[in-house]
Amino acid sequence: MTRPAWPSAARRALLAAIVLLPLAGCTSDPAPDASPSTAEVAPPAAESVMGIARSVCGTSWTGHGGDRTFLVKNTDTVTTDVELVDPGNGAVYAEVESLAPGTTRSLRVRLGHGAYALRCLPEGVNMLTGPTVRITDGPQDGTPAVLPVDDQDLTGAVGRYRKGVTAGLAVLSDDVAVLRRALHHGDRADARTAWLTAHLGYERLGAAYGTFDEFADRIDGLPDSLPGGVHDKDFSGFYRIEYGLWHGESPSSLAPVGDRLASDVAKLRHDFPEQRTDPMDLPLRAHEILEDTLQSQLTAAADQGSGTGLATAEANLDGTQAVLDAIAPVMRSRYAGWDQVGVWMGRARRLLKDARRPGGGWTPVASLKTIDRRRLDGTIGALLEELAPIAAIGETRRTS
Amino acid sequence: MTDRRTFMRGALGVGVAGAVLAGAPSGRATATPAPVADPVVAFHGAHQAGITTPQQRNATLVAFDVLAADRRELTGLVRTLTERARFLTSGGTPPEVGIGAPPTDSGVLGPTVPADGLTVTVGVGASLFDGRYGLADRKPAGLTPMRDFPNDHLDEARCHGDLSLQLCADNRDTVSHALRDIAKHTRGGMQVRWRIDGFVSPPRPSGTPRNLMGFKDGTSNLDVSDSALMDQLVWLPEGGSYQVIRIIRILAEFWDRVSILEQENMIGRRRDTGAPLDGDHELDVPNFAADPVGTSIPLTSHIRRANPRVPQTDGSRILRRPYNYDLGVDSVGDLDMGLVFVCYQRDLAAQFEAVQTRLADEPLVDYIQPVGGGYFLVLPGVRDVDDYFGQTLVG
Ligand code: HEM
Repeated sequence: MTRPAWPSAARRALLAAIVLLPLAGCTSDPAPDASPSTAEVAPPAAESVMGIARSVCGTSWTGHGGDRTFLVKNTDTVTTDVELVDPGNGAVYAEVESLAPGTTRSLRVRLGHGAYALRCLPEGVNMLTGPTVRITDGPQDGTPAVLPVDDQDLTGAVGRYRKGVTAGLAVLSDDVAVLRRALHHGDRADARTAWLTAHLGYERLGAAYGTFDEFADRIDGLPDSLPGGVHDKDFSGFYRIEYGLWHGESPSSLAPVGDRLASDVAKLRHDFPEQRTDPMDLPLRAHEILEDTLQSQLTAAADQGSGTGLATAEANLDGTQAVLDAIAPVMRSRYAGWDQVGVWMGRARRLLKDARRPGGGWTPVASLKTIDRRRLDGTIGALLEELAPIAAIGETRRTS
Repeated sequence: MTDRRTFMRGALGVGVAGAVLAGAPSGRATATPAPVADPVVAFHGAHQAGITTPQQRNATLVAFDVLAADRRELTGLVRTLTERARFLTSGGTPPEVGIGAPPTDSGVLGPTVPADGLTVTVGVGASLFDGRYGLADRKPAGLTPMRDFPNDHLDEARCHGDLSLQLCADNRDTVSHALRDIAKHTRGGMQVRWRIDGFVSPPRPSGTPRNLMGFKDGTSNLDVSDSALMDQLVWLPEGGSYQVIRIIRILAEFWDRVSILEQENMIGRRRDTGAPLDGDHELDVPNFAADPVGTSIPLTSHIRRANPRVPQTDGSRILRRPYNYDLGVDSVGDLDMGLVFVCYQRDLAAQFEAVQTRLADEPLVDYIQPVGGGYFLVLPGVRDVDDYFGQTLVG
């Protein structure tokens, strides 16, 4: 969640009234057991409530390592975020977001050896950082800290990503023009080939969950949500053309759908420079594109007859790779599992390549051997597990 | 809960109390809120839990295909499986991952995971010993793929598997949480092949719980407290056991159109009391010797075929641990329900298969249809924190 760092003048007047009570302390427990196996199964000790001075973030807590729960109370009238940070570099161990006035929430963390401080980020007010506490007992490694990502960090990524999409849209509009001509021309084989090329070009853009707004539905919408299903008059775009080309409709009867597709793609291309890309969308998309692949392509739910779901899956991998390339400079240093992402991307790619027919055609998902299908599902699933932390790390946070 | 592996743990009120853990010093126990009893079945031991430990009310049986690329990954997989099983069966608070990842736990059981009597029982199928992991020469001689018996209606998609998981707990959400946790942590290493959920009914009104044919099921079974008997009929010398899972559909509508007399003659027991047809009470022992032509208990009845109670068949006795299942409806609107028949033994051929062969063509076969399942070798127990499932096999 991002919030404006600075308030209006009136809001700023509230600054002095902020009283934040990070209520923290330590239990009578001795230093918790350092052995990970037993510490892991033991519930954390909750902190007792300790007093604190006004406008100071997190005084008077003492340091013992191990599993800890801080009780943080906001006694003011302004909502605030509270983070437990490494004061040396601002990396965040744990956080409580949007703590409403008058509410108390717990902040759980395992303290390892290192430096800790509470940081308060009241809405519309500069952040303040409490005193540094050094932990020298308990387990060596605690909850890992992650350097927060702010909008600025992602600016370069957004630029790189948009450049790629802009180039992709140019290719797409050429490919859709070829498809359109093939439909008008009436040759089914040509139209099918052109359809696949163009459709993959769109899928490679990595549109998922709200990208391209209403254009996404018009260009690549599925019939499921339409009352008339595949026969609904509003069923249009790539999947409508696929349905027709693989269900005996004549290519020329589909020409109007092709015309509309071409015009939708042209409009998208025209509008794209004005469409804003929320920086936070990129890390999110790192897993969302393939979540959609798993749900729609690997189940064959999206297949309108062409049996090219695996080709789509491959294009979606490309789309995901484009996102990863764009955010790599921000993520590589922050995400310990970054290399694993590469390993599973490679495996997924190899499986899809192996599933290709010798002549270059595609095996429909449903015709895969059960074990091959299971292997693909499991591999994409594992890749998704590795991609998911990227969205969490990339959730933009205030850094001032 | 009389089994010595099972004990109650003072569990959590509002996530603030301490817990006494299996084998751990009790220093962290706190007195604060009145502890709620949380049954824990000890995870470490010579044998895996979930076989001779008391049967919990809920179960999920799952078979997986192993996807691990090589032996090293297979070892990683069984190690992960061990860690998850150890954590889930002990209960505790999942580690805090901070801001860099989604939570590691689904939260289905609340912020602190109770053990809830969970047992995780891991087995391996014959197919794991094919060429993939260089284990062919380690395949136990007694581990074969499940046979297709006369009267079986097996659906290949619900048969066999490289690995089996039996998850049992007192509550349904605990079982479901455990499967979700294990699947998440082993993603890419194995993939579900088939799954069946089951439950044990409460006693109606007393004695042994009933199956969905309306009969008490489990009255005559091996005595798990007799450790000599368990060593003789259930445990392998290394600590493992052979597991048979049979998903057996009951044709409930058809069965309900059968007279009570016929029903009871097919089973060999009274439906109301569970008493053998030559006795008065559930626990009366049938006396087949006194009834050589089957006047009171027909020779073809299920209990007589399954256990003729003669010295020559004593060695074929099995430890049954079945669950009822209730899945929905079939294509003609009939109910899809039945029995997840699970049994344990030292020798598949000499025990389960011998019993199943004696049961071939029993009158009951018209009302039941085995549709899936598999044979698995339950691995020896995980002995301590350094040990893991199948260490001697893959290590
Ligand atoms: C849907 C399938 C089945 C049903 C409804 C069923 C039902 C029953 C019932 C009601 C009893 C009597 C109560 C008792 O002593 O526990 C029983 C006993 C038994 N059943 Fe089954 N059974 C089924 C499948 C099997 C299978 C597949 C086997 C093994 C191959 C088997 C082996 C036995 C044995 C060994 C006994 C105990 C006999 C004795 O010691 O007196 N049952 N079963």
